[in-house]
Order: sequence, then structure tokens, then C-alpha cells
Amino acid sequence: MVASLPGNQRLKFSASLSDNESVDELTREFLLESQEGLDRMERGLTELETRPGDAELLAEIFRSVHTIKGTTGFLGFGRLEALSHAGENLLGLLREGRLAATPDIVSGLLALMDRLRGILRSIEASGGEGESRRDDAAMIARLEVLQALEAPADAPADVSEPAMSAASAVPPNPVAGRTRRTAGKMPARPAAGNRQKPPRFQPRSPLPITAAEAGPSTAIAAPPCAREESDVCSASPAAAGASAPARPGNPPTPPAAETQPAAAVNTADSTLRVDVELLNRMMNLVGELVLTRNQILQATSADAGFSLLGRRLDMVTADLREAVMKARMQPVSHVFSRFPRLVRDLARGLSKQVRLELEGQETELDKSLLEAIRDPLTHAIRNAIDHGIEAPAVRRAAGKPAEGLLRLRAYHEGSHVVVEVHDDGAGMNLARIREKAVEQQLVPAQRAEQMSEREILQLIFLPGFSTAAAVTSVSGRGVGMDVVRTNVEKIGGKVDVDSRAGHGTQLRLRIPLTLAIIPALIVRSRGQNFAVPQSALMELVHLSDGESDSRMEWLENSALCRLRGRLLPLIFLDRLLQQPARDRNSPCDIAVLNADGRRYGLVVDGLADPEEIVVKPLAAVLREIGFYAGATILGNGEMALILNPGAIAQHAGVSLTSDAEEAGLAQKHVGLDDYLVVEAGGRRAALPLETVVRIERIPRSRIEMAGPHPVLRLEGALLPLDDAAAAAGAGDPEARTTVVVCRDAHRQIGMTVSQVLDVTGGRQLEEAGTGAVAAGVTLLHEQVTGIASLAGIPALETEAAR
Amino acid sequence: MSEDTIGQVQQVCSVRVGATLYGIPIAHVLEILGKPATQPVPLAPPFVGGLVHYRGEVLTAVSLRRLLAMEPASSPEDVLVFESADGPFGLFVDSVGEVLNVSAADHEPNPATLESCRQALFDGAWKMKDRLLVKLDPARLEPMRLAGAAA
Repeated sequence: MVASLPGNQRLKFSASLSDNESVDELTREFLLESQEGLDRMERGLTELETRPGDAELLAEIFRSVHTIKGTTGFLGFGRLEALSHAGENLLGLLREGRLAATPDIVSGLLALMDRLRGILRSIEASGGEGESRRDDAAMIARLEVLQALEAPADAPADVSEPAMSAASAVPPNPVAGRTRRTAGKMPARPAAGNRQKPPRFQPRSPLPITAAEAGPSTAIAAPPCAREESDVCSASPAAAGASAPARPGNPPTPPAAETQPAAAVNTADSTLRVDVELLNRMMNLVGELVLTRNQILQATSADAGFSLLGRRLDMVTADLREAVMKARMQPVSHVFSRFPRLVRDLARGLSKQVRLELEGQETELDKSLLEAIRDPLTHAIRNAIDHGIEAPAVRRAAGKPAEGLLRLRAYHEGSHVVVEVHDDGAGMNLARIREKAVEQQLVPAQRAEQMSEREILQLIFLPGFSTAAAVTSVSGRGVGMDVVRTNVEKIGGKVDVDSRAGHGTQLRLRIPLTLAIIPALIVRSRGQNFAVPQSALMELVHLSDGESDSRMEWLENSALCRLRGRLLPLIFLDRLLQQPARDRNSPCDIAVLNADGRRYGLVVDGLADPEEIVVKPLAAVLREIGFYAGATILGNGEMALILNPGAIAQHAGVSLTSDAEEAGLAQKHVGLDDYLVVEAGGRRAALPLETVVRIERIPRSRIEMAGPHPVLRLEGALLPLDDAAAAAGAGDPEARTTVVVCRDAHRQIGMTVSQVLDVTGGRQLEEAGTGAVAAGVTLLHEQVTGIASLAGIPALETEAAR
Repeated sequence: MSEDTIGQVQQVCSVRVGATLYGIPIAHVLEILGKPATQPVPLAPPFVGGLVHYRGEVLTAVSLRRLLAMEPASSPEDVLVFESADGPFGLFVDSVGEVLNVSAADHEPNPATLESCRQALFDGAWKMKDRLLVKLDPARLEPMRLAGAAA
């Protein structure tokens, strides 16, 4: 402890000399640490209400406050010091079990925390704590009143003795003068303080100055127990823990609480704070590298010597990208951790009982995205508690438990993270939403009548929409859900709402894992490239020469296409973008898109390969057009505009697919299996869609022979092949073939095909007379088609088999 | 012009659009891209010539020909890159010529008879020995400003 003194003194001196450089650096560090400490404290306090007697929890909260108090003294922040000290006193009593954590105490401590946060903000903004010492005194008084709830009043008196001896054990030092000044600045506190317990103020006058070198905090400290004196000179929780066993008259704390700080130090040693700006720059550079890699791979694909190097570059780039992305990832608990407090305060304010359940806190998300969902989630939670969850009496009357449930759940879904906010409240009143939307002139009455259930639910996202009968302090000001949607869409996410009257509401935020790089399909329209985010892409339909006119049907000026018996509205990209019109009969591709529940087909001239693209922002003048989400540079060096499928659907007036329609679609699929229809060796064959893993296009030269069996090396693994299309490219080394990778029980196998034709539903066929289901065939497009047998492909000889 | 004190010699980058020679003080020019690949942007405001690739970013480039309501260029154009508050932007010109030394004393403001669309874009001209060199001020060519003027 003594060894750490010179350092502390230096800090103090530099603080008093206001040597700006070092103070700034120190203060920043201090602010960061304190913020984290307060976050921990907040989490702990809200948890405390459910587990009021948890010694470990109390110890952790105590440590957080104690650390702030300790550090704050060195930097000369008197207000922080006085406040945290008062909190520490109260927490000390809690920790020793002399006080029980009542809701009032927790509220008091939370209020204290807010005050501390406010001061930290002020320090961050102006470098000073700001002046409102009178309020501080009131806060300290409040905490002291709470302490007074303690039953026996004699406890503190007997511990002041060891405090004295601990303090006098340390020699006086030159900084004491500064400390005295600090002490002098605080006269308001004892005056405003609660005088019910005089022993607490007893050690005030001469003692602190002697103890000063242990940290100025002691100067104003009215130590209720001695252990604060003994460890106050160390700012780190580790030292606090280490000195703990020496605490006089202290009930033994559980060993777990003592070992924890040591572990914290270890993490601190192996981690490093990095400026987010630097990470952003790294991410940009990696994006550039990905582009260059794509270009190199394209340029060298023909050269066998380069392909190995190219592949290695590919791998390293992918790994690097992943590493940088990982560095930017943070668990959602960073955002979730604030909510227990929010929920508690809101519920108390509205006299409701709400239990918050947090799931999937470890789910990680890009830092910038995490920041971006903080506000939307806060809004959603406010809404759920204010509008969703009913008052306890109402709930009981409805046969529900008085305590409402609010569940926040985060999980991965493909390249997205889904965050769900679920409440078991009253649910949304569709009729009311419709009525309010008409009343607030957000939709014409006539249109509102025709809306499907899902469309009505979407109305809550309109700017200005509010159903609240009265404006409460929590919500009902008509800002909320539209902010949620705008913020989430800004980062490429989606918001979805589902509600059942009487059963509650569920809000789903679907957030991309990362902003910078997205998989996209490159489409061509009138000689120009456009990128369509894969996340919106459902399937692709190719209309060959002459077929395009016959498959498209016209209803006045709207084009439609029949897809598995349903009409799909079509949007022609060339017309939408006012490009020169194409010939109606020329072949085209339809990208079937689903943008926020709006399904439509985007008609384009042709398709290029899918690519992982780096999203580049567009200038404001081009963003205003609305159809573009950005631009990108493709592997071949060309540029492409990234289309925004949602904006296009909205512009063209594509309506939402109703629940009923979707349910109907699901119904129709019962009894029907989906098949991938392929052409292989001149025959049509069907592959059950659920077995298809992926489709690859490879040069035929990559197919190798292992004994008598054709195999393909794919991503370092060996894939047994059914070379059904062998005849097609035989003899031509340049020929390319399509490989459908399928799952057959536990192994993966490949099947070469000359062409992938369609995805379609097939019906079972029954044998005439017996009615037995025929195996190996299905009815597709009214044609009997053989189902390819995967089991027929011989297994590789494996070590295990030997 | 406030930045030009009398008699001071300034270096300007000369660019040609159609038959006219324009001059832009080289201090404003970040970079010159020689005949880069460009990408048109359907539905963009008319003054936007397209996108160009500039150091890993996708740059919006303004077309001087379009601003002056001239016919589109028949051959690939050069692009000058300028900095604006909104980030860098490009300017399409027919070709970039040599750097010329001009004297502030030779600078004259726009004539009152100049049509209004050019009044807004041009920043006077320098009297050269055999011809006029029209001064362009990149600040007047910023996409955001042009969009504001068009609205």
C-alpha cells in the first residue's frame, strides 16, 4: 500500500497544477472506468431487488462505488467524492447485513447513481464537476436518512477506534494541505446531514488530515467502520480485496467475492481499449482489401500458377475480415444491462408490476449497430410497459398473473441478429389503431377499411401515430414507433410487429451483423450493374426468349406473373429507373424479392454472380432519390448501385402480404414437397429441396477420380460425385458444369447437372389399383419426374470404414 | 476577389469544356483522374454526371457540360476531385490542360450580360494574352449547393 503512494502523489500534484495534458488523459481513463463501474452498479442494484440478501452482489456493488470514491479523490473531484462516500456508507451497512435492501434504499442508491453519472457527464463536457452542492447535500441527507433505518445505533461507535489507528499508522505528507481545503469546502454536509446518529460524525475533525495521504477522500469521510480507512488509499478493486481479510470487526465475506477482483485485473492486463475510429478505419481498409482480392481472383482465375496464391489470399483476407469484425463485436448485454433499471423505474412510475427476462445476452453485434439499437429498444420497452402491460388489477381480472412479463431476447439468425421485445400485455387493438389512424388523417378512411391485419399493425410505425388516450410522462406523444423503425432501417434492419389481443405484443428487430459488407446478387439492367441485397432475395425465375411475354400477364398497366399459382406483382427495373425500355420479348430474369413483407418480382435483363460487396455511402443528392442504399465496386472493377428493395416496393405501391395469404401459402404446401428440378444427361430429375445444401458452378477440370469414382475437392473436403452430366462436357477441358451439393443422411454428396431448371412443388403418385405411393417419382408441372437417388452414390472409403 | 491581392501570381489548372477554357486555382484540386470508368446514376439530378471510383470511395461527379446545358461529350472525360464539407466530389470536364500562371490584376468579374445560369457558376475571368480564361470556383459546384439551387 505504501509502495503505491508516490504514484498517487504524482497524480495529485499534476491534478492541482492542472497540467492539462496528463490530467486529460487521466481524467478520460477515470471517466471510462467510472462509467463502467456505474453500469455494474446499476445492474447490481436492480438485481438486488430480486435477491435482497445476496452478499456477493452487495459486495460487487460496494466495490464499484468504492472504486469511484477512491479514484475520484486523487483527481480532486470533491462532489463525486462526497456523494460516493455517502453511498458507500449506506452500502457498507447493507453489505454487513445491518440493513435490508428495501425498494426505498434501492431507489435512493439509483438516484445517487444518476447524480454521479450527471457529474461524470459534466466532467466529460467541461472538465469540471459543475456547481450544485446544495442538491448534493440533500442527496447525502437522503442517503443518511436511509441509513438511519438501521436498527441498533451503537454499532459505528466501536469501530472508529481501529480507524484512528489505521490512519495514524501512515506518515503525514505534503499534500495534506490540499486535502484540508477539500474538507473545508464541505461544510454543508454535516449541517444538512441527519443528526440522529452522532457517533458517525465523531471522528470528523482532526483525524482526516492525518489520514489524508491515504487519499483525500478520507478528509470528508465519516467512516462508519474501519476497513474503509485501511484500504482507501488504493484505487484498485484488487487491493481492496487483498486488504479485506485484515478488516477489523467485519463479518467474513464469502471467498468468491474476494477472488473476483483478482480475476478482473487479469482481464484488464490482457485487454486493450481501442478507439472506435481506429476500428472503423481498419474495417474500411479490410473492405478495400476484399475488393482488391475480388479483382485479383477474377484476373487470375485462368492462370493455374496464380490460383493457389489467389486462394491463399482469399483465405487470409477472409480471416482478417472476420478478426476485425470480431474486434468490433460487443455482446448485446452492453445495451440490455441498462434495461432492468429502466423497467423498474417505468413500472414503479406507472404502478405496474413487471418482470423483465433477458435472454441471449451474449449474442454479439457490431458496436456501431449496438449503439444504433439502444434508442429503438428503449422506445419499445417504454411502449410495452406503458401501453402493453396492464395494471395489476386489470391483469388479475383477465385471469393473468398480476406481474406482467417483458422478455428481451437476442439470437442469431443467418447473417442477422434478431432482438425481440415481447410483452404479455393487452395486445394491440386493431379497430382502435384503424380508427386513430383515420382520425389523425394518416390514412384515408376508405383505404383503412380494406387493410389487412398486418397492414393495420404497420400503421403504428407512421410518424405521428399514437393511440394513447392521454399523454403520459412515458409515452403517448406520438413519437416512438416511427423513430424505432427509422432508426432500425437506417442500419439496414427491419422491424416487425405481431400482436394478439389479450395475449400481448411482440416486436422483432432484425439487425444485420455488420454494416460494411453484405452478400448481394448483381443484376444487370440496360447495360448497368445493380446490386440486390441477398437478404431480400427469395428466388430467381428465368424467362427465356419468347417465354417472357407469355408468362407475364397484364392487368391494365400492372404486370403480373404466376408463380406456383399465385400472382406476383412485377416491377420493371428499367422502367422504374426511366432507362431506355427493353423489348418485351427478350429473355429476362425475375428476382423474387421480399422487402418487409412486400413480395414482388423485379424484372431485370440478366444476372451476374452473387458477390460480397462493400457498401459505400452515396452523396446526399443521390440518397434523396430513394431507390439506392449505396454503391459498391465489384470484383471486375465496375461500379454498381445497391438497390433498396423496400423503397422500391413502397414507391410502386406493392402491398403487404397478409397473414391469411401467407397461411394459405403454407396450407398449400401441405401434401406437396418442394423439389429442385434439374436437367442431367438429357433427362429431367428432381432433387428434394430440403436435401440441397448449395449449388456451385465449377470447371469440369476440377472433377477428379478416386479409383473408379468421380470426386470433387470443395473447401478442403472430398465430395463424392454423381457425374450425371458427364457426357455433356466430355473432352472439353474448358467446359463448366453445375454441381448441386446435397445432404444424404450425414454425408454430403454432389451431383453434376447440365442445368438447374426450377424449384417447384411435386405431388405423390399412387400406383393404379393398389393406391400405394410410388417411390422415386413425383408429379412436377403435370409431368412425371424421377427423383434422383442420392443413396446410389458410392461412399468414399474412409478410415473409419476400414 | 479577396484572396487575390493585386499583382499576385496564382497557379490555375486549365480545363477545356467545348470551346471554352476554364481555370481552377490548383490549391482547390485534390486530384485529377484521367478518363476514369464512370457509372451513370438513373434518376439522379441532371447536373450529376455519374459516379467515379476514387481511392476506394464512390465519388459523385458533377458534369460541367450538363450544368451548361451542352450536348454530352463524345469521348471519355477527365475528372477533377475537390473537397467539400460533404466529402470529396468530382467534376467532369472534356480534358485537363496545363497549369497556367495568372495574375490577380488580370481578373475581371462576370459581365452583366452573361446569362444567369452561367452567372451563378462562373467567378469572373482572367484576361490572357490571346483569350479569356473563365474562373471556376469549386464551392459553387458542390452537389449539395447545386441541388439547393435547382430546388
